[in-house]
Amino acid sequence: MNHTPLWASESFWKKVAIWVTAGSFVLLIVLTFDSMSKVQAGSRRVPAYSVINQKIDYRFDAQLNRYMPVIGGDEPLFDRPLSEAEAEALVTLGKKTTQAKNCINCHTILGNGAYYAPDLTKSWLDPNWIDAGNRENLMLAFLKNPPGNARTYGTGRRMPHLGITDEEARGVIAFLKWMSAIDTNGFPHNFKTLYAQEE
Amino acid sequence: MLNIAALSGKIQEAFGALDRHHLNGGQRLAVKYFAVAMILFLAQLLFGLLAAIQFVWPGFLFDLVDFSVNRMVHINAMVVWMLYGFIGSVYWFLEEESGTEIVGLKWGEIAFYVLTGAVVIVVLVYLLIQTGPGNDATRWLVNEGREYIEAPRWADIGIVTVMLVFFYNVAGTFAKGRWSGISGVLTLDLVALAGLYMAGMFYSTNVTVDQYWWWWVIHLWVEATWEVLVGCIMAWSLMKLIGARRRIVQTWLYIEVALMFGSGILGLGHHYFWIGTPDYWFTIGGFFSALEPVPLVAMVVHSIYDAGVHRFRSTNHPALGWIIAHTFGNFLGAGVWGFMHTLPQINLYTHGTQWSASHGHLSFFGAYATINIAFFYLAAQRWRGNVWMGGDLKDNGWKWKWSMILLNLGVMGMTVALLIAGYEQSFIERAVEGSTWGGYFAAQNQPWFVQAMLWRLVFGVVTLAGALLLTWDLLTIGAGETRLALVLEPEEELAAEPTVAVAK
Amino acid sequence: MIRPVELHDFLLSFFASASIIVSGACYALLFAWARLAGRRAVLAWAYAAYALLAASVWLLAETAHFEGYWRVLTGAMLAGYFVAPRAVFRLCSATHAAEHDEQTRSAISRPSQENPP
Repeated sequence: MNHTPLWASESFWKKVAIWVTAGSFVLLIVLTFDSMSKVQAGSRRVPAYSVINQKIDYRFDAQLNRYMPVIGGDEPLFDRPLSEAEAEALVTLGKKTTQAKNCINCHTILGNGAYYAPDLTKSWLDPNWIDAGNRENLMLAFLKNPPGNARTYGTGRRMPHLGITDEEARGVIAFLKWMSAIDTNGFPHNFKTLYAQEE
Repeated sequence: MLNIAALSGKIQEAFGALDRHHLNGGQRLAVKYFAVAMILFLAQLLFGLLAAIQFVWPGFLFDLVDFSVNRMVHINAMVVWMLYGFIGSVYWFLEEESGTEIVGLKWGEIAFYVLTGAVVIVVLVYLLIQTGPGNDATRWLVNEGREYIEAPRWADIGIVTVMLVFFYNVAGTFAKGRWSGISGVLTLDLVALAGLYMAGMFYSTNVTVDQYWWWWVIHLWVEATWEVLVGCIMAWSLMKLIGARRRIVQTWLYIEVALMFGSGILGLGHHYFWIGTPDYWFTIGGFFSALEPVPLVAMVVHSIYDAGVHRFRSTNHPALGWIIAHTFGNFLGAGVWGFMHTLPQINLYTHGTQWSASHGHLSFFGAYATINIAFFYLAAQRWRGNVWMGGDLKDNGWKWKWSMILLNLGVMGMTVALLIAGYEQSFIERAVEGSTWGGYFAAQNQPWFVQAMLWRLVFGVVTLAGALLLTWDLLTIGAGETRLALVLEPEEELAAEPTVAVAK
Repeated sequence: MIRPVELHDFLLSFFASASIIVSGACYALLFAWARLAGRRAVLAWAYAAYALLAASVWLLAETAHFEGYWRVLTGAMLAGYFVAPRAVFRLCSATHAAEHDEQTRSAISRPSQENPP
């Protein structure tokens, strides 16, 4: 009556708990090393920052059965080609600005964040900008004066004044353009880019 | 000008009023943590309410305290009050569990005031300064701008320092007194808790790398280390509350650790579907998502086993009631709501919609808020001098019963409203419109969505009413009660086990 | 790698996932109850819950277009959710076998020494 079988004993489960935890963690570390090597800027999944010099699109890939970024010919941001170092500096300024302005507590970035405002993952490619040629200027004007250029689509939700400078706004646009070229395994699905609408 | 010294004296005096001679040193410190936790809980609901109002009337407080600020304070207050609850609970049982006095109680006191002061400053900066220029100084001093861990870097370092003091007190006190299964698991879990926080303390321009490590903090805290921390607190509580036996409680704590960490650590994979990471995470995330309900199944079987074999006997009905709410809330919030949208085939559409908000509201409430509230009641009982809190309370216990009803109804109502909004959003915005901005706003304007947001606000008010009643009850329950609670001891017939220690 | 759920299958897919967890819990609950009370009728209901679980898993596999690896996962879910409650029940009985052993009595839960004067 008093003997607990080994497989139900405290000491057995203590060992199981330790081995399971250690095993899972080691596996996670191995996977993390692998993932990190595959998502460095300049990898197949996450392009180099200088991708902002090129045309980016997002199309359905029948072979993979999902949407994929498509990197095309030259289309430099603000008509000024940047070196890799310049591009990285500009994207860095943009990324730091998105953090400093707390963008993620209204918007989502790669689908993570708050749901009060639209997802920014592919915002560079959004058909809302209508004309690819004028897109940078529209974005620049909007970021520098969001309430003045608000398009609320009838919701009444406006982006507040965040004091974004001209340089910061250019950085944010570079960051958004670079982000739209990341291979996100087909998220968002069924997204028709501004180029697709033009056709 | 405010005299800072006089102010800090006044604050100390106010907290001093909470001291009771029935309490040991650790418990006196714990009561301070609980007091601040309750204040932050109310702050969480208040700012949640402001954000909910803005969903209905976007002009409300526009350009003054915007949605981003309210939502950030809402969630930060939640994270911090839960941590305060956990830290307080550990300080509460530290001396009894170790059989000795806390090694650095004075340091623990200082750490409490430092942490609380830092929290106040961070919140004031959030509210008054809000944002800064896009440079490193903003991230160090104002706002890091990463969801849930927005606290500026100086505060991160402060938090880690305070956690080290806490860790020193826990490990040192057990080392001086005695170790047990619970204390061993607890100590190792705290190492993981502090270590994982540091995974979120660096900057990366590469947004994929940024979010990869960000999830380490968020997921591995919430779905691994917090769960185990709660498991330790529950294990100890169940010995106190229903006289469960140590050997059995500890065996099940280990089983829980094995199940939790076994399914939870690699369950991290379900956050790596769409952030730029390789697609083998589909396989891993899918598998471990299917595994995550297993601990819940174990909980169901164990609860039935205990209910069938033993009769429950409790001298603290509110605490037991909240533990039962924990079981149900956790099962629905983490289990049902989690699994409904976790597989990549459907998550492609639900990712980044109100689905996540629905799941988040119920699972945080079910898994963590309930258990903290249960512990507050255990503490209130001892604070009053270990008085009776079982059946037939003076006023029939209407306050705890009604606060429990209102809180559960409020959270459940918000969850269902957000579920409807999320369903509609994943349908219209994601699937039909392909997640363009036009699609986003089309979904936001849909009558189902608009009405869901209104209902969410209504149930948010219900939740706040419940929390106010809860606060009132915690402050008054047991006052003037003269009957003493029996001290439970495991006995042949009545011993009961950690029905819910495997609840996650 | 994956084929997303079709628009017209959304509701079915959510329903199937929720039903898997709920019927899985019902199966576990009824199974434990049947074992404790020794009632065959309850056991029959437990297996009915499991049948519902299996149907839900099938529905999810259909609506979410499970193929290849995902088929294996379907099998693992069917087997795992069938076995888990039984294993946990055995574990409960076995861990509680020591319940009457005086040696295991906790030293910590003795009457508190700090009753107020």
